[in-house]
Amino acid sequence: MTKHEFEVAMTCEGCSGAVTRILNKLGDVKFEIDLPNKLVWIESDKDVDFLTETLKKCGKDVKYNGTK
Amino acid sequence: MTQKVNLSSVSLGVEGMTCGSCVQSIEQRIGTLPGVIHIKVSLEQKNATVLFDQSHQSPESLSEAIEDMGFESSLSASSA
Repeated sequence: MTKHEFEVAMTCEGCSGAVTRILNKLGDVKFEIDLPNKLVWIESDKDVDFLTETLKKCGKDVKYNGTK
Repeated sequence: MTQKVNLSSVSLGVEGMTCGSCVQSIEQRIGTLPGVIHIKVSLEQKNATVLFDQSHQSPESLSEAIEDMGFESSLSASSA
């Protein structure tokens, strides 16, 4: 599995909570959220475009930082 | 040609917002959906009041759109 790093413009627990719920709905993904640094790490075989679109659903700016 | 528009207003319960940024992202995203005329989200009352065109949206579809963003939404009978 590849670990992807995304930068998501989260500002509070509500934002990270929303991201958590969105990712949980995907099912088979493992992820970690670092709120102070606005980073989200996702371990998944799904492609980056799909994951980016998913993260964008919460209405925040999303930037892909590459694999880790 | 006049277009017939069936406007309707609904109040939806929204759980999981904790700051102004959450409110803003909901207002922005839901506000740009087709058929949504106006949206007002209240952080204190944990709800969203939406004015929409019934031929494009329904209370259910709006609630789903909010849930899609990662917030809990309920079709609360507006007890305002």
